[in-house]
Amino acid sequence: MELFTPELGLIFWMFLSFAVLFLALWRFAWPVIINGLEGRADEINRGVEYAQNAKAQLDQAREEAEKYINDARRQQAEILREADRMKTQIIEEARDAAQKEAQKVMDAAKLSIEQSRKEAEQNFRNEVSAFAIEIATKVVRNNLADTKAQASLVNSLLDELENKN
Amino acid sequence: MFTPQRAFASSESHDSGEVNPKEIIFHHLGDGYGWEVPFSHEHRIPLPVIVRDNEGEWHCFSSARVTGGDTYEGFHISHGEEYSGKIVGVDAQGNIYRPLDFSITKNVLALFITVVLVFLCCMSVARWHKRNGHKAPRKGVGAIEVVIEFIYDGVIKAILQDKARRFAPYLLTVFMFILFMNLLGLIVIFPGGANLTGNIAVTLVLAVCTFLVTNLFGTKHYWKDILWPDVPLWLKCPLPIMPVIEIFGMFTKPAALTVRLFANMMGGHMIVMVLTILIFIFAAMGPAVTATSTVISVLFQLFMLLIDVLVSFIQAYVFTMLSTIFISLAQENPHQEGEHHGAE
Repeated sequence: MELFTPELGLIFWMFLSFAVLFLALWRFAWPVIINGLEGRADEINRGVEYAQNAKAQLDQAREEAEKYINDARRQQAEILREADRMKTQIIEEARDAAQKEAQKVMDAAKLSIEQSRKEAEQNFRNEVSAFAIEIATKVVRNNLADTKAQASLVNSLLDELENKN
Repeated sequence: MFTPQRAFASSESHDSGEVNPKEIIFHHLGDGYGWEVPFSHEHRIPLPVIVRDNEGEWHCFSSARVTGGDTYEGFHISHGEEYSGKIVGVDAQGNIYRPLDFSITKNVLALFITVVLVFLCCMSVARWHKRNGHKAPRKGVGAIEVVIEFIYDGVIKAILQDKARRFAPYLLTVFMFILFMNLLGLIVIFPGGANLTGNIAVTLVLAVCTFLVTNLFGTKHYWKDILWPDVPLWLKCPLPIMPVIEIFGMFTKPAALTVRLFANMMGGHMIVMVLTILIFIFAAMGPAVTATSTVISVLFQLFMLLIDVLVSFIQAYVFTMLSTIFISLAQENPHQEGEHHGAE
């Protein structure tokens, strides 16, 4: 069987071809290709590691930012509450002060009204007494003439007084 | 699908008109002086014949001078039982003898073509790496690189680990060489068509190379395991039973490598040939049978060729993987013991 008996010539050429190919590739191709493959693998590994680190850092930064935001929100709420409280307080105080002032003004007004009234009363009393004296004088003067006339006089005088008031 | 035409061409040459399947198959699986041309069995691409006669003189001439059945410088192609299809000489006594034959036959030229193709393909990847740094190539170069990377990362580095770089050049060369030979063998016209990996001489050389690499770079521990293995003393002292078995094992590994690749590739080619010849066997039974058998045969051939493409990759992969495992077994150090034993 020709197939199962190796030919010496073919063995020789096969060995020679294989040796030449091996030496040529060993010298020119494989080191470059293997370095390229290894280098790329390293670079990919480094890239993945870098990306993982970056992701971890980003996560951390995001967490921190979240914390800061939450803090800020809390502070904002606190400040708003405080402001609200202060607003109420200020309004309250203002109202109190206004009420006090108003009270004061009213008191002063009352006092001056009271005084004016008293003064008026006094004046009135003085006038009325003067008028009464005047009427009395006139009555006394007319009494001598006519009683009727006296009465009408008194009445007219009283009307006058009433109109005056 | 040039196979049917080729088979037809070869069957034509037998003047009797009888189809002789065995002869056709072995003719196509074997080597030849001159490369067949499609559609013509008379014309062949002539190749140089280099022979040394029994007087020690070298002769070199074109195969065209002897392929027609002629005799040139005392040499002709034998058609007898012995040395059939080979160049033979006739000595002074009239006896036929086989000269020392270093002819550039069809297989040898196919080898050269494969070497050039593998070299160009690998250099294209190397050139890319030189020019583009760590960027990944695309298209053709990318496809070759994917195959190289698959073998380097998936087989060589996975098995040899830190020693991968030392043996990768040899193993990668073996893989690419076998793969290209397998695939070229499936192309039926000129640069392909030579059944290289289905030739035992080719696989034998590759297996011997693996054998040499395995044993020349074997560690002290590997040799100790062979010559003085860790077995009870009576198995190795008066009669060296275990060492003999281990030494025998050293040689069965390359033998297994040789036969596995050879038989697988030859089997694939043979099935395609048989399916082709079926058409010509059925041709004698009338047009209807011929038509049916042709359709069925061509479909099966197509299927088998597709399977053979797969087998080409698988066999190159298996040869490389087994070589890697054999080398790694010889690289064991005492502290790594047992790590690779499951792999064999």
